[in-house]
Amino acid sequence: MTPVAVSASTIVKPESDTDTDVQSDNPWVVLVWNDPINLMSYVTYVLQKLFGYSLEKATELMLDVHHKGRAVVSAGAREKAEMDVFRLHEHGLWATMQKDGSGGGDS
Amino acid sequence: MIRRQRQPIQRTRNGFVLQLDADERHLLRRLLGEIRDLVTTAPVGDAKMQRLFPPAYTDDAEGEADYQRLMREELVASRLGSIEIIDAILQDDEERTLSSAEVDAFAQNLNAVRLILGTLLNVGEDDDDADSPEMALYQFLSWLVDCAITALMRA
Repeated sequence: MTPVAVSASTIVKPESDTDTDVQSDNPWVVLVWNDPINLMSYVTYVLQKLFGYSLEKATELMLDVHHKGRAVVSAGAREKAEMDVFRLHEHGLWATMQKDGSGGGDS
Repeated sequence: MIRRQRQPIQRTRNGFVLQLDADERHLLRRLLGEIRDLVTTAPVGDAKMQRLFPPAYTDDAEGEADYQRLMREELVASRLGSIEIIDAILQDDEERTLSSAEVDAFAQNLNAVRLILGTLLNVGEDDDDADSPEMALYQFLSWLVDCAITALMRA
């Protein structure tokens, strides 16, 4: 495989444009919460399936959920976050979404 | 338990084989039928269904109302669709090869039964004692889901 050269200008996202609604540019985070019912193997599998994570990454997130009570499993625009929450709900995971920085991080 | 030593879902060269006896198939179909009824008839906010229809927004009442309005029906439709997939397989007496999508539906829906049963039983983090028939059933389902996931992840 050859790495594709991408000029910096195509990947740098513009800083929040003052003309647009700043609120809508805020990335949303999707959290999965610990629960005593879902199996660890099942949670790992679902994270791999829905987000394409490696086994290592999915296991790490699952363990974060298990030990810290929650983990951020995806982030993005509101519509994407809502769809991710929906797919997690389809699979019976306890997922919520919130604006990044509104209490979802550790500490 | 002897049951723990068999492999109910085997990965084969062409897919997956489900090995459940007639009683087990019957039991699972009955449970899936109960979920199908609950999903379509349980009132919004029914406590035992909270894990199948969790809130998406915990700090935004308006967002939550919109999510429930737009997505709950989708969630019900998706659930009914995937129950249909697995019910057809369990109905089939002939052993046939399953796709990974079918095993996925199997795990997803037995897990849905566990979510309701576990809520009703108020299952905690370290409840390992099967001291009631309901808990034994819950653990049987846990074992089947885990076997399905193990088979899928081996793929």
